[in-house]
Amino acid sequence: MIHNFPLHKYGRQLWTRDLARKVRAELHKILEKADEGDAVVLNLKDVEVFDFSFANELFGKTLFSLPAEFPGRFVLFEHLTPYTRENLINALEGMKLMAISRKGGTYELIGKAHPADVETFNALSQLRQPSTAANLADMFRVNLTAMHERLNKLVEAGVVRREASTSSAGRVQYLYAVPR
Amino acid sequence: MAVTLNAIMVIAVPAFDKLDSISFDQLLARQDPFGAARPLIDLHGVRLVTPAGLVKLAAALHAIARDGRTPTITQIDDSVRTYLMRSGFVSIVTPVAEFDPPFPSHVPNTFERMRGSNPLLIEVTKLESGKALPQLLNQIVGVLNRRFKYPKYDAFDAATAVSEIAQNTFDHNCGACGFLAMQVYGTGPKRFLEIGVSDFGDGVAATLMRNPKIGSIPSDGHAIRLATQLGTSAFDDPTRGTGLFHLLEIAFKHEGSVQIWSGRAKMRFRMDQKRGWEFTVPNLPGVHVAMTLRSKTSSHQRARKVDRK
Repeated sequence: MIHNFPLHKYGRQLWTRDLARKVRAELHKILEKADEGDAVVLNLKDVEVFDFSFANELFGKTLFSLPAEFPGRFVLFEHLTPYTRENLINALEGMKLMAISRKGGTYELIGKAHPADVETFNALSQLRQPSTAANLADMFRVNLTAMHERLNKLVEAGVVRREASTSSAGRVQYLYAVPR
Repeated sequence: MAVTLNAIMVIAVPAFDKLDSISFDQLLARQDPFGAARPLIDLHGVRLVTPAGLVKLAAALHAIARDGRTPTITQIDDSVRTYLMRSGFVSIVTPVAEFDPPFPSHVPNTFERMRGSNPLLIEVTKLESGKALPQLLNQIVGVLNRRFKYPKYDAFDAATAVSEIAQNTFDHNCGACGFLAMQVYGTGPKRFLEIGVSDFGDGVAATLMRNPKIGSIPSDGHAIRLATQLGTSAFDDPTRGTGLFHLLEIAFKHEGSVQIWSGRAKMRFRMDQKRGWEFTVPNLPGVHVAMTLRSKTSSHQRARKVDRK
């Protein structure tokens, strides 16, 4: 399920850490209601600008806490303008964070992401269904340990979800998924 | 000023007629108001006070008052007296300082009614929280966009830089606050604006040393350099430590100039070369930032001259 969280209701120009604290408290309530696999879309339609303090307090703190506080939930960014996108990427890179941007029906990994992270994320996104680490390792012709490392990094960043399932042989296996 | 010493009249010729981000250190060096039992700020000879000078002076007066002394400002030129009232300076410092001669008690209120009426001026504004900032930032965006020919997003950049330094004044200090002022000068391609943001808090070095991951800092100059690096903050928090870094990045992008003063060091960043020069200055409590931006017309004209060479 997708939860829309429009930011323009707080203003077209989003200044200060103080404002971001208020917005984050409301975002927190939405995340608490979200189930595993759900995505909360930070909708930046009609938002012209935010300062770095706002970005760090709202986006940074939310993304840092997401994997531990709300495991399996996604936070996406949508309706970024070229300007807000550039500033968001600058803010994320400054905090060494990555995040998911949604445009149309496609997802893009932005921020401090290694090319291998982007490649893995894109592959999962294009598959349109959860996949095992073994399957992805085969796709990229890397060993399973290396693929596990890549996937763990993406899960810890909150941009990929890990879910337990049962293999055809009846064993527990983990599937990796991006928002659907 | 004329002083009689052993029957010899000494006439102190003012070293500067403009109190700004450059000459303020000369004022402190000559008058040492922080070391005096009865602090006196003598503005003899000063004909112009810029926003950076106003907010530094406001912060200095508040710092002196915090120490239990009442500073007095004296020898103010008539035109400067009017500007000090119009710029909101008098009403901001009246609770902590005295003027010689004093202003009539109704004067600050009279000029306070004009606050916000001139888009080219931001009166000295006290910053205790983020509440006042959106309106001030919107004014800066408006001036840069409409009067300085900045594209909208370039104006947002500049406002973002101001927002970051303004928030530092109350985010990093307890028992102190910040001050912000802006003034547009000149016309046409020579038009520029100066924004001053000052506080009278602990200063950059003491603030950074609150972070246990930052060891001792040898000097105020070293502290300023550290603070302009991405991720250096008083807080051990990865979402902090971006303000001064982005200030310099944005000022460089728009060919502005920046000065940061904390404690006994002042650094001037000339944005055509993306580097800073450090100066040793008299001690001034707090952090003081001045940013100057030119109209895009003048930047473009200069760029065309460079292209022709």
